Parts: sequence; C-alpha cells; structure tokens
Amino acid sequence: MIPEIEYLRPGNLQEALQMLSEYGETARPIAGGTDILPGFHINSRRFRDIKTLVDISNLPEITAIREANGGVYIGGAVTFTDIVKHPLIREKYPMLADAAAQIGSVQIRNRATLAGNFVNNAPCADSVPPLLVYDARVTVRSLRGERHQPLGEFLLKPYRTQLQPDEMVTEVFLPPLPAGFRGEFYKLGRRRGVAISRITLAVLVKMDQRVIEDIRIASGAVTPIGARFPELEAQARGKTAEADFLKELAIQLGEQILQRTGLRWSSAYKLPVVQQVFYQLLRRICQ
Amino acid sequence: MKEISIHFTVNGKKVSLNVPSRKRLLDVLREDLGLTGTKEGCDVGECGACTVVMNGRAVHSCLVLAAQADGAEILTVEGLAQNGELYPLQKNFLEYGAVQCGFCIPGMLMSSYALIQENPHPGEEEIKEAIAGNLCRCTGYKQIIQAVEATVKR
Ligand code: FES
Ligand code: FES
Repeated sequence: MIPEIEYLRPGNLQEALQMLSEYGETARPIAGGTDILPGFHINSRRFRDIKTLVDISNLPEITAIREANGGVYIGGAVTFTDIVKHPLIREKYPMLADAAAQIGSVQIRNRATLAGNFVNNAPCADSVPPLLVYDARVTVRSLRGERHQPLGEFLLKPYRTQLQPDEMVTEVFLPPLPAGFRGEFYKLGRRRGVAISRITLAVLVKMDQRVIEDIRIASGAVTPIGARFPELEAQARGKTAEADFLKELAIQLGEQILQRTGLRWSSAYKLPVVQQVFYQLLRRICQ
Repeated sequence: MKEISIHFTVNGKKVSLNVPSRKRLLDVLREDLGLTGTKEGCDVGECGACTVVMNGRAVHSCLVLAAQADGAEILTVEGLAQNGELYPLQKNFLEYGAVQCGFCIPGMLMSSYALIQENPHPGEEEIKEAIAGNLCRCTGYKQIIQAVEATVKR
C-alpha cells in the first residue's frame, strides 16, 4: 500500500529546492519512483517517514546530458534509457552505458534515474562501480548553495550518503578519461531481467607495453557499498601484467573484500567467483 | 484525503479527474477508468503485468504515481485494436498460441508494442530484451517471441 502522501510538482529547480527546505526530513524527491514506490509497498522502514513527495522527474534543469569541460554532465533526473541511448556516453564511458543497459528491465530503465540509483546507495547499485572508476563527481544543490564532491566521498554506507534532507543531486560529472585506458564491466545476477546483482566489477587499465601504467578497480554487491580498491591499485601500478601477478592481484582482491564485509554465508561461493572473474577481466584488458 | 487533479490522454481520449495523491497510474486505470486489461501482479516492478506505454515508452503502471502521468499520453492494451479489428501483434499472439492463461499478455503486448514503435525490425535478441521484464508462467516465452517475430517480418 502506498501511504497517505502529499504530492508536489515544482515548476523549476528553485521551487523544488524551496519545497525540500520547507518540508525537510518528511519530504523526499521522487523521479522514476522505482525504489520509493516498491519501498512503500513493502512498508520499508527507510521510507516510512515520508509525508511529501517532490516530483523532480520533469525539471528542465536536471533532465539533460551535456558535454562540457572535456567531459559529460548528466542531469539528476536523467534516466538509464537516456544514458544507454546517448552516443557520447556510449563512446567515451562505455562501462556506464553497459551497466545502465543491464539494470532492471526496459520498464525500469525508462523511469529509473542514475542519480536515484546512487542516492539510494544499495550495495548492489549497478551504476556505482563504473561511476567510481570514471572518477565521477556529484553536484549537490540546496537553497544554501552548491557543492561538488567525488562520488566515492559522497557515498557513506549502505543506503546512506552525504545528501542532506534539503539537498538534491543536480548533476553528475564524468571527467575526461586520459587516453589509453581500456576497461570492462561485469555483472552477475540470477535472472536476465530485473536481477539484483550478486557481483559487479568495473576495471579500467592503462597499459604501457606490458606494464600496468595505471589501473582503477571498483566492485559492487560484494562490498557493503560500491567501492574502489586504492591499495590494490597502488600495488599494481608499474608492474608487468603477467599471469602470476594478475592471479596474485585477484587473490588479494578477494582478501580485501573479505576484510570489508566479514565472512558471509555466501562468501564460499562469491569469493572464488569474484577472484576468477577479476582475473579473467584483467587478462582480457591487459593483453 | 490529499487529492490532486490530473489531465491526460488515455488511448486517444482526453481524461480529467481528481484522484488521491497516493493512487498509482495502475489504480486509476483499473478502478477509475475501468480499464482492467492492465493487470496487477507483483506491485513492485518485477512481473511486468502492469506494463503500459507512457509517452512512447513502456513503463510499470504500478511504479508511476497517477499524478506523475499528468499531461502524458497513455496507451493500454484496450487501445491497441482499431475499429473493432485486432492489432497485428494481437492477431499473431493468437495465431502462434502465445496466450495460455492470459494474465501476462497485456503486459507482453505493450512491451512488444513499445519495442516495435521504436525499432520496427528488431531481431530475436532485441525482442527478448524488450520482454525480459515480463514474466509468463505458462507459455515458456517461445510462442510469444515467435508472435512478435512474425509481426515484424511482414
Ligand atoms: S504489477 Fe507492476 S511489475 Fe508487477
Ligand atoms: S499466459 Fe499465463 S502467465 Fe503468460
């Protein structure tokens, strides 16, 4: 059941921010509604205090994808379908397009937004690992002003971000990726459509002959929230990409995941899979 | 009860009504407009039985607040047949035995319809992707895919 709620539709961003500031904790922006409405339906604790929904899905200021500063700005209400179809994102940030294409189902992608995916910050949010390896930055607005933050800092813990009740994510910036990076996104789910991810990995590597010049690694679903692995990345830089070393890196990835999550009932299954998949990804990217 | 007034187009007809703001598009279609072809299955975006086409895109009507459909063009399964004649997709669903209990069929039709509008000659993979969010517990999907294929080949 959807509870008694008040529905507000601001005409522009400024009005939306005013509403959020006025209603505070009891208000929540709604765009695609693909997390909030099922959440209401199962009476999820996370959405119980909501009394007012502020519909931001059609605000002109946040529904566009634009090219600037060498990168791409994606508006806070841009849907996954918009992302999948966007030629520039497909060309320059293919892992994001790839992840977006595998989210939910056509019906979900037509409504669900990129910003909603990481603001909800479920451990299995598929867009997060690619965004993290692309060093995405978020723009957050409120009546108090605007701030910019790397996504990795913005995300705090499962279902928690630094977003305050009066704030809204207005844009995501994907900075230009230095030439020479190649990458791949991997997702394991139980069913083809609408699968909750069990494992996601995003890996970007820049090779200089046989040497790993730079590398970015992120995972989702197997870590409490989507996250990068800075120690692992540091360790790999400057190393020759030979099978033994890549295997070693994969073993360590498994160990770091275990450290972050603790032993779970599913670890016995997931860890070897993560390690094997990661190893194979590296082999393909580095060859 | 908090109410909101909405104006939208459903199957080509302009509709205006006041609805409680907690009602979903699915509820308004079925309860207020009597369009019960759109089915209510899981209510959480997993089964696709409630699929309608909104502004040209397939959406779950269980995940859209009616208020969010204000100003939209909605097409439901009732809007497919024209002048008493079934839409080609519907004819092929019958011809290929793609309908058993029928519960998933309105959703399947609307997902396939949205696909064909956007991409008149989809391949098998594209058809499968378009209906990946629609569950069918009877047919095994094969006949449904064949029916869509037959429609786009003509
Ligand atoms: S009832 Fe809407 S997806 Fe199942
Ligand atoms: S025909 Fe029965 S669920 Fe599809």
